[in-house]
Amino acid sequence: MNATSEQRRSFSRRGFLGLTAAAASVPLLAACGGGSASQGGGGGAGGTVKFWDMPWATPAYNDAAKGIAEGFSGANGAKASYQIIQWNNFYQTFSSAIASKTGPAVSTGGGFQAFQFEQQGQIAYADKVIEKLKASGQFDDFLPGVLDPFKSDKGYVAVPWQLDMRVFWYRKSLFEKANVALPTDWPSLLEAGKALKKVGAFGFTTGAGAGNNYANHSMIMMMVNNGGGVWNKDGELDLMNDRNVEAMEFVLELVSNGIVDPAAVSYTTDNMSAQWKDGKAGYGLFQVNVPQRVGDTSGDLLVADPIKGPHGDKATIVFPNNIMMYTNTPSQEASEEFLVYYLGQLKQLWQKKLMSALPVFKSITEIPEFANDPNNVKIVKDWQPIAKTFAAQGSKLNANLAALDGGQALNQFSQTIITGKADAKTALQTFQSGLESVLKK
Amino acid sequence: MSSTTTQSGLARARRGIAPGGSGTVPGKRRSKLSAQATRTFFWLLLPSVVLLVLIHGYPLIYAAIQATHDGDLLQTGNFVGGQNFATVLTSPAFWKAAQFTLWFTIVGVFGSWLVGLGLALLLRTRIPAGGTFKVLLLLPWVVPIVVSSTAWNWLVATPDSLIPSLFRNLGMGTPLFLADPSLASITVMVFKVWVSFPFMMMMISAALASVDTTVYEAASMDGASRWQQFTQITLPLIARSTYISWILMTIFCVNDFPTIYLLTGGGPVNATTSLVVLAYRTVFQDFATGPGVAIAFLMTMTLVVISVILYRQIRKSSVE
Repeated sequence: MNATSEQRRSFSRRGFLGLTAAAASVPLLAACGGGSASQGGGGGAGGTVKFWDMPWATPAYNDAAKGIAEGFSGANGAKASYQIIQWNNFYQTFSSAIASKTGPAVSTGGGFQAFQFEQQGQIAYADKVIEKLKASGQFDDFLPGVLDPFKSDKGYVAVPWQLDMRVFWYRKSLFEKANVALPTDWPSLLEAGKALKKVGAFGFTTGAGAGNNYANHSMIMMMVNNGGGVWNKDGELDLMNDRNVEAMEFVLELVSNGIVDPAAVSYTTDNMSAQWKDGKAGYGLFQVNVPQRVGDTSGDLLVADPIKGPHGDKATIVFPNNIMMYTNTPSQEASEEFLVYYLGQLKQLWQKKLMSALPVFKSITEIPEFANDPNNVKIVKDWQPIAKTFAAQGSKLNANLAALDGGQALNQFSQTIITGKADAKTALQTFQSGLESVLKK
Repeated sequence: MSSTTTQSGLARARRGIAPGGSGTVPGKRRSKLSAQATRTFFWLLLPSVVLLVLIHGYPLIYAAIQATHDGDLLQTGNFVGGQNFATVLTSPAFWKAAQFTLWFTIVGVFGSWLVGLGLALLLRTRIPAGGTFKVLLLLPWVVPIVVSSTAWNWLVATPDSLIPSLFRNLGMGTPLFLADPSLASITVMVFKVWVSFPFMMMMISAALASVDTTVYEAASMDGASRWQQFTQITLPLIARSTYISWILMTIFCVNDFPTIYLLTGGGPVNATTSLVVLAYRTVFQDFATGPGVAIAFLMTMTLVVISVILYRQIRKSSVE
């Protein structure tokens, strides 16, 4: 028997089709959402509150958070366990675990996750937690306006614990080199951008590459900064309003003047950080703790002043990250007790300088480890009071915002704008159509 | 030497028959298994069959349910029949992604095959430090894709990256490899070829290793040129491996998520969005489970059809 006939015998049509079907079914397996629950033991874990947390910062953050969670000792002997959930496919991880009753009792997560699961009836309202915080005096410690977005008609959907704020940063030495003043409004931003370009820097640093949402945030920020936003005050989609059109026309003007890096559409956050570190970024929207993030703590990277839109509006965007409780819990009382305990211990995370976000409690903004950084102080003083959520022009968070945040429609829109591929109205119209197609009716 | 003799020699060589060999192929010998042995095989196979049904069957059925319902990841929702498929098939984004997937697959399959074939043939010759060379050539396949894509990002992403800088220094402008839609598409395809050619090279090397070198000697003695040897001996003798590698590479390309997602995220402005990236985004970013799974179903059906067509080619090449 030669090799050919032997191979043919072992390589039957049926066997081949079986193999092919198995290999070809990979996309189905990947997309069907039937992922396995990553945790077992869910709600009935004998008085142990399962707390799931995300990698919000370096691994040291998760170590510290684990220590806090496992230090919980509630009434009736309640304990807490700690589990890190990776961002990759996190919603599927939560969904499949919740569906199989193996999910957490309490968790952090996506900014609008609590509202998504509230729609499914999986969220335990936090009104009793708020009452306990009022009784302990911690309620009055919340910064102004951070709690309101979480109050629905049925109760508090979650409790905020950190503010992921977007503010303008600048490199002082580049402004000095360009001999131009810091922008205070849109026209001066345009002038500063032109001056920075002459010294080889960009005046509206952003990025829209793989996994980078900063261009998305910059677009919404500019709309909100002009008194516009994705939604109207009643929470209905309202992208085509005049303020948004005006804001996007201004960004397109920045693009056409070379103030936005032509390669920014492909930049990852690492590419963006490298621009800031290498002195290519003169001015742009970024998160809290940029010097630490990009590795330049020389004092040359500073928080800029908020800028005024052409109608006098002044605003930025903020993601109030939150902690939510689920209906599947060994004890609702234990969940609430744990949440109150955890909020009370948050200060440790900022004391250890593990966070790249603002605290939600005034008392934490006053601790030396936070307040000794003038950038932090400026953000709390000048930016936090004007910060609005993705729900702007409205104020209430809801599940629809998840479809906006990081969805295809917003990505395509921001990439279209920063490449100057369409006029403002056309780009906004496409954005609106894309969002409409995915929003819950 | 007559042309008849040459063709005869080549024809013998194509069939893998060494000079002097009879070329007779033993007839099919059907070994009849006893009934007991058949039962034993059945019981031995049963655990694998059960596992396959559980691992592949359940998700497939679940996916079919989701593709025909309007729910989300947590709740299945209402039955909507073929509405999700209609939504997908009438979406310009789907057809744009399908078009990119087609080009990505064609370039990925044939590009990596050509490079792999060339290197496999080169490695067949005696070159100094051939072993080291082989290991180095395998690196793109061996290195985790997340590392490769990060390295490529460093090489091309910004105007100051190495390759754009080289172009600039050569007076060829500063190409934005990932920011220009056309260049980004080409970059992703070149990256795919770079990542995949070692696989092709190994497949072809394995096929070439099984070829008796005396057939080349015979063909050479019959007066066949190098090109004739390549087209009349080498290619036919590696045809089965070629078709199999094409099938596998087609599946790898169509299903390739990390190469594209890590390098460009599907951008700029969807220029490099393939069907699998679109399916992922639809399910996990837009939370539109039904349409996302419908895309995956359409991909699976297409892959099965392509695979069957290529499989027929394998059978044909075997018959010849």
